[in-house]
Amino acid sequence: MRRRALLAAPAVLGFARRANAADRIKVGMLKPNIVTAIYWIAVKTKSFQNQGLEVVENPFPSGQTAAGIEQLMRGGIDFYLGASGEVAHADSRYVEAGKPPPIALIEGGVAGGSFLVLRNDLKGKTLDELRVQNLRIGISNPSSYHLILLRAFLRERGQTTDDFAWRFLTVGGPEMLPAMVSHQLDGFMHDALTTTLALRSNAGFVFMSSDRGDMGARAKLLPGTGVCANLDFVRKNPDVTKRFTQALRDASAAYSAAPKAEMVAIMSEWSRQDPAVIDDMYQRFDPRVGLTEAAAKTWWDILGSAMLARGEISPKLTLNDVFDLDFVRRE
Amino acid sequence: MNSIQKIDSAITAQSDRSPEDFARSLKVAHRRLQWRRFWRGACGVLAILALWQLMSRLLDLELLLPPPLTVLRNVILTLAISDPHWLYGPNIYVHLEHSFLRAMAGFGSAAVIAIPMGLILGRVVTLREFILPSIKGVYPIPGIAWIPLAILWFGLGDAAVIFVVFATTFFPMFFSTEAGARQISPVIIDAGRCFGARGVTLFFRVILPATVPYIITGLRISLGGAWRMIVAGEMLASQDGIGYFLMESRFQFKAVDLMTAMILIAIVGYATEKILIDTIEKRTLEKWEVQPS
Repeated sequence: MRRRALLAAPAVLGFARRANAADRIKVGMLKPNIVTAIYWIAVKTKSFQNQGLEVVENPFPSGQTAAGIEQLMRGGIDFYLGASGEVAHADSRYVEAGKPPPIALIEGGVAGGSFLVLRNDLKGKTLDELRVQNLRIGISNPSSYHLILLRAFLRERGQTTDDFAWRFLTVGGPEMLPAMVSHQLDGFMHDALTTTLALRSNAGFVFMSSDRGDMGARAKLLPGTGVCANLDFVRKNPDVTKRFTQALRDASAAYSAAPKAEMVAIMSEWSRQDPAVIDDMYQRFDPRVGLTEAAAKTWWDILGSAMLARGEISPKLTLNDVFDLDFVRRE
Repeated sequence: MNSIQKIDSAITAQSDRSPEDFARSLKVAHRRLQWRRFWRGACGVLAILALWQLMSRLLDLELLLPPPLTVLRNVILTLAISDPHWLYGPNIYVHLEHSFLRAMAGFGSAAVIAIPMGLILGRVVTLREFILPSIKGVYPIPGIAWIPLAILWFGLGDAAVIFVVFATTFFPMFFSTEAGARQISPVIIDAGRCFGARGVTLFFRVILPATVPYIITGLRISLGGAWRMIVAGEMLASQDGIGYFLMESRFQFKAVDLMTAMILIAIVGYATEKILIDTIEKRTLEKWEVQPS
């Protein structure tokens, strides 16, 4: 009897392990990059684990947003953190060809976090005064969210970037500050971290900030970063997708509740930055997610229109092609 | 009739013909050979294009591997500047012009330094022994590795890209020229001296013509390298040019534009080589009646 029980034990244990086995998901993200810090907060606060998810991490270097999207389209990863405009670009190509879009945004940040930093000697000038100056502005890639946002803002003013004498140079996020200090750039458009580093080293000042309303009142509502998914995976695994987005929201709730020092330490580890820098950045940056239908619509109205006006996306593309609103908060 | 007998009869037939007939038959044979090469090459290209078209359509790869006809149409439309709202700048010719000027600036400056240096080091043993190890030490560094340093030294702009092209094209030109100058037969030099050539005369009448085939080879290899590097440089340190067009089309997920950029690079690269190198070749080899290497 005892012998039979001993023989049965491994089978019972195996069954129990299978019953508790977490669903494995492949998640891509920009790393190191502050905009994807919510991923690391979710890991550190065991949000994925609590949702029964085992995450396989697929990092992509900062500025290589397109590489992550390409992987997502091919099904090499199931979810990707760090892109929004690129989703519209990629889906547009499929819609133009009469095919269903392969990827969609399923979640997004609650704050924009887009900054235009200029060198100090340009302080006190207006946008119209700067428009005619031959400024070299760094952007992380040609489809940069920050650049699209600027274009959207200019469009509201009846202008385009072609009306400016500015040159937009592609520079990796980490290289923006050295390039500005060495006078190779007159400014840059990037996230809160690069902005904080520039301010700390007194290399420049914040000329425009989306959160301050400098890029239009509605830009404040825009999700700064996107979480996108392979739609084939989503259709086959709706429950896993729901748990994934819930894990990110749980991490956002944990961020709100946790002491500042704890979150500074987590974000410092993720972005490989000095905690003092992250501490400085804290008021300027919100890593939380919580995309709403209203925010998705604002994104589409502002960024979608700007991309459409420039011919980057097809007129056939709709909000529902870019966003899968089944996973977005209704309120 | 066995094969030896066949050759014998052919030789006999040839020997019976007049020199004019023989020259004419040679011309005809040459034309036939050229035609055969042309249609065989064309068949190969057409077969690849047909396979590409079929794969693209049958495997539903149009967005990842656009069919050749779609790419060809896009190349024509791009060159015709048919889209008033072209995403990548004013028009393709602006990008091509900037890339061409950068490539030629880097390639030209490399030629101006590498060829004289190769000639001198090829002929002056003492200098060669001092300088060549340093050059050989730097040679294995790939051109692309110079990009971060070039941006640091010259900033984001033309100078960095030109420098990277220079760093890539210098070595093939230098080593070819140096090898050519070093390997000139002493008999040729002695013959030149017997005819009274000394110093500058010996250089321009004997050494330079004897080295020209090697220089041409170096130029040809370097020019290909210049186009390869211009794309890499512009992708990282420029806001225009064909490399920038290539990178931006990647960010727009437009595979057809990516392939258009690649085809345009191939066309411009081939045309540059045909016009530039062939002209140099004609002006030097034919002038000096040197046999190509």
